[in-house]
Amino acid sequence: MDRRTALRNLALVIGAAALLPACTKSNPIVHYKHFDINLDQQTLITDMAETIIPKTTTPGATDLGLYAFIMKMVDDCSTKKDQQAFIKGMGEFNDVPKKLLNKSFADCSKKEKEDVLKSFEKKDNKYSKDLLAFYNTVKGLTVWGYTESKYFLTKINVYELVPGRYNAWFPVKNLKAGTKNG
Amino acid sequence: MANLNIDSVKERTFDAIVIGSGMSGGWAAKEFTDKGLKTLILERGRDVKHIKDYPTTNLYPWEFEHRGEMPMDVQEANPIINRCYAFGEDAAHFFVKDKEHPYIQEKPFDWIRGYQVGGKSLMWARQTQRWSEFDFEGPARDGFAVDWPIRYKDIAPWYSYVEKFAGISGNKDGLAELPDGEFLPAYPLNAVEDYFSKHVKQTYKNRHVISARCAHLSKPNQIHLDQGRSQCQERTLCQRGCPFGGYFSANASTIPWALKSGHATLRPFSVVHSVIYDEAKGKATGVRVIDTNTKESIEYYAKVIFVNAAAINTNLILLNSKSHRFPNGLGNDSGVLGKYVAFHNYSAHIGAEYDGFKEWKTDGRNPAGGGYMPRFRNVYKQETNFLRGYASGFGAYRGYKHSWDGVGENLKDGLANKELGPWRVGSHMMGETIPKETNFVALDPDKKDAWGIPQLRISVDYDDNDEKMKKDYLEQLKEMFTTAGFTNIQTSSNHQAPGLDIHEMGGARMGLDPKTSVLNKWNQVHACKNVFVTDGASMTSTSCQNPSLTYMALTARAADYAISEMKKGNI
Repeated sequence: MDRRTALRNLALVIGAAALLPACTKSNPIVHYKHFDINLDQQTLITDMAETIIPKTTTPGATDLGLYAFIMKMVDDCSTKKDQQAFIKGMGEFNDVPKKLLNKSFADCSKKEKEDVLKSFEKKDNKYSKDLLAFYNTVKGLTVWGYTESKYFLTKINVYELVPGRYNAWFPVKNLKAGTKNG
Repeated sequence: MANLNIDSVKERTFDAIVIGSGMSGGWAAKEFTDKGLKTLILERGRDVKHIKDYPTTNLYPWEFEHRGEMPMDVQEANPIINRCYAFGEDAAHFFVKDKEHPYIQEKPFDWIRGYQVGGKSLMWARQTQRWSEFDFEGPARDGFAVDWPIRYKDIAPWYSYVEKFAGISGNKDGLAELPDGEFLPAYPLNAVEDYFSKHVKQTYKNRHVISARCAHLSKPNQIHLDQGRSQCQERTLCQRGCPFGGYFSANASTIPWALKSGHATLRPFSVVHSVIYDEAKGKATGVRVIDTNTKESIEYYAKVIFVNAAAINTNLILLNSKSHRFPNGLGNDSGVLGKYVAFHNYSAHIGAEYDGFKEWKTDGRNPAGGGYMPRFRNVYKQETNFLRGYASGFGAYRGYKHSWDGVGENLKDGLANKELGPWRVGSHMMGETIPKETNFVALDPDKKDAWGIPQLRISVDYDDNDEKMKKDYLEQLKEMFTTAGFTNIQTSSNHQAPGLDIHEMGGARMGLDPKTSVLNKWNQVHACKNVFVTDGASMTSTSCQNPSLTYMALTARAADYAISEMKKGNI
């Protein structure tokens, strides 16, 4: 995907955020209510989300618009302190694939991207607090957005708005797959 | 007054005025209009019409912009209301924002308010346990507060009366400390709740875990269908307002019932400044209202006035109703008005797991929330180093183990996993607190709200008795959990401020002696017989049971008395 296409696609995805061609010609700034990020960072987060919840035979993060959800939650529902850690950690992120694989995250293969992200979940990792905060925020919001998406709650773990029943003693052997709060 | 011509006065004159349209005010309105009395219902907030004004009620989780979370700017601008468990994206529109209605906290007090037709009856937790003889005789037996001027037998028929109309689910458990009522079928205990109930009963002779009794239509009767309500659908999304009318709220039940009679006038956006006292007549003649939109002051008149503004605001109105006869607030000859405020201690929890009953789970959702353990401390006699006792909620739940580990397809598989986890159990403390003169609300001499009404100063705190009781709760629950074989037991004690329990009571307490109380045994102001207070402000002590059912019963009882007194020409 070339940058122009990426820019157009992302503009469709990001919703409320204004995408203005500013700063460098090749790396526009995306304005949110509480902070700015650039297009490369936007691509990075989109890429991370898709690596965390990839498209398989079922929809992935991009299909489900999770980038927009992640940024909305960071922008609207995080403290200033957490937003600062997120931005700072995001700035440090590029060094990780550089050190591990000597390339940028965007240039990594799918498997390499997974390995980069998995390195954050190793118990003995030496990443900074901000870097971990950034990763954990993207991971947490991706998973949250996924498990609370219409797709997940209608196809994988069916959410019932109107259960119409409470069976206090329900035999596990009678369990039908796919009922939330069941 | 802008206009004092006779027609205008006539238009503003009613048989009865009810201040407040919530849990208790709705009942007063219903009782008066049932008897054909021309009734004005005043509500300081906006109207919330049943079903029509429940904007979130049918939204799916993914339809909430922030998936239920409140935006941080709202959270930071509203630290008080943000501490309320029900203040989320689905119900935030039913709660008062901190800055719009300021008050002064001499000590931390989380005053949780819902200013709209229906008040907090829209978002309440719907637990409806009767109080018992042990509660009404408590202050006299244990020597605190003042003696209640009523006993259980005085209120029992009125519990039955309101239960039949509101619809209460529960079992007849035959416990003196938690009397039985007029019940719809109970929501049964699940496997682990039932196991714990049996364990506790076998191990301790006076401890019981029963199905929590709640204001849900498990199986509606004709009287509920007549209200336009239908069977509870076990959504447990109650705080959004229920389109089925599956739980009792003033919005679904008493208010539309009163309006349907043709005898009620509902006036929202009407904050009551004060009750008007006529020195010559020796009684109240009406109320002074401020239209919250136009800020116009308007007077309304009636033969009888019920003050049901919710405990703390009822105190405010009475304190602000000053006259030559009552310079310190209406009916405040004793000087106790605003004092002896108390609440419930909800500041302790315990959780654990249970490695058994793996062949069982639950299906659907339980509106009752699980089990309820009535007070077992100091019931028949004083036996601990603290006064009174606590009730305990008890619930067990079994969910799925979803793994959040890793990324990619493994993670997707982990999240879709259907493996059942262990049973988890939990309990929360509901402790009685002792009303004290030092726990009070008072008018600030200078600060006023946007409508020129004095702001309240609230000075309410825990005491040593609460700390001792909490320690005992945690010890006893831990012991019961341990002997039941629960594992990974975690106790927690927070320092939540009084008020967050949303069970604030007192300030205009009932009593036998006008020198030490504001209201008599009929919830009637001792010194102003046509004014009644039947909400939480009237409570002499707090019991440890949830109080709303008792407010409803006291209201219906007092309204019946007021109507008979009006007929006799006494008021």
